[in-house]
Amino acid sequence: MSINFESFIEWDNSPFILFNHKGKILYLNNAAEILFGYVSKKELYDIALSYAPQNFGYKTTALSLNYDSFMFYAITVGYENEEELSLRLYNTPRIKPSKKLETDKLIITDINILLEANIALFKTKNRNHLTLLTDQDLPPFKLDQNNFSKLLRKVLDAFRASDSIDITLKLIIGQHVIIDDKKQPIVRLSIHANGRYTNADEEIRTLAIPSQIKCITKEYGIDLEIPLIS
Amino acid sequence: METFFTTCDKIQHIIKSFNLTKTLFVSSIIIGEAHTGKKTLARYLFPDTPLVSGSNQAEVELALETYDELIISDFEKLSNQSSLNFDNKRIIATANYLGNSLLIDTLFAFIYTMPTLAERPEDALYLRNKFAKEASDTLMLEYQQSVTDTIPINLASNSKSLKKTIYQHLMKQTMHIDDITEMLYHYLYTHLEGNDNYREHLILYEKPLIEAGLKKYGSQLQLSAALGINRNTLRKKIHEHHIS
Repeated sequence: MSINFESFIEWDNSPFILFNHKGKILYLNNAAEILFGYVSKKELYDIALSYAPQNFGYKTTALSLNYDSFMFYAITVGYENEEELSLRLYNTPRIKPSKKLETDKLIITDINILLEANIALFKTKNRNHLTLLTDQDLPPFKLDQNNFSKLLRKVLDAFRASDSIDITLKLIIGQHVIIDDKKQPIVRLSIHANGRYTNADEEIRTLAIPSQIKCITKEYGIDLEIPLIS
Repeated sequence: METFFTTCDKIQHIIKSFNLTKTLFVSSIIIGEAHTGKKTLARYLFPDTPLVSGSNQAEVELALETYDELIISDFEKLSNQSSLNFDNKRIIATANYLGNSLLIDTLFAFIYTMPTLAERPEDALYLRNKFAKEASDTLMLEYQQSVTDTIPINLASNSKSLKKTIYQHLMKQTMHIDDITEMLYHYLYTHLEGNDNYREHLILYEKPLIEAGLKKYGSQLQLSAALGINRNTLRKKIHEHHIS
């Protein structure tokens, strides 16, 4: 019996990369192709070399890797000859909120209004320069207005001492999230500056969970991936 | 309808934020010193919204069951804030101080800080003129801007002290001899005790007399002549009443 496993790897949700002995990419699956938008070839090759088994074979190591919104909890590095080295990264599972999102109780909201109101609140306390780039054509969608406002307040507050703050709000093309067995588009709110406070990050992540918002905290910014529930 | 005058940037941002969230179901609180205009601002922004005071917990709980939109004043006076449920309601609260900051942070999405009147000098000036006009009406006096301009702006207790000073100032300006003697009568009646009252209360007459006289005549020499007393006597009394 002969089975062609290549298409299974091609469509696997976890990135898979095959390097040659000089670090040149011989093959990469779809997930790895997206990942290379956020991490360099060299960085992943170096990781593969560092965690490669001493002899021919495969070795799985548990380690935490974060590249933008991509999070991995383990890698497998393997080689069967001197020419090729493979690296597989395992996606960290998304934390499912213990409480189900009651979409019936959510209110259809223009997110731009909530964003502007929170910026006005931020301006009552701070004089930082702030630029806002939003998609005014985003349709109103279902949101817990109060919880989302609290989350926005906390997120903006992390930038209270930043010199210049860039806020962008846009629809992510081609990505979806499943809520109540329905495929929902995702809106990304990115707030970036030259630096920020990180002491409220845990609280921000906790506030994001009940609204099924994915929160990506970085050194210079915070991204919120909000499900556009219709 | 109540109006709200301000030239303060901070308050204008608060108004903008409230105007944007007027139709949304979010909870907001305005925190600031007493008599800074928090309730007036809430009333101005939400003229038709029911208002309850936090001094009555039961009344607030009942109102929360009845209405989707509510103004709660004196929020700091509520005995059990953690029992309140603001889910899918439009709440506008006002408080004189923050109290339990963690709880306030959990209960409210929008937390505004109202600046004091001392931080808003232009607003204080506007209020002085407004209160002076009201006081002139109440006291049946002719309003004079030149008189208003001489009223000191006392912001120790924000608009409360400002208003009080205006009334006191305007009343002092219009007093006749009968009012003054009546006032002195009441004062002396409640303060007479001991056995040295004549000397002790002489200050009530001598101090303002000498101070006004010095301002009017400029020198002790001229004042002693105007008062018809010896220069040395005048100097002694100036010293005695600590007049500079």
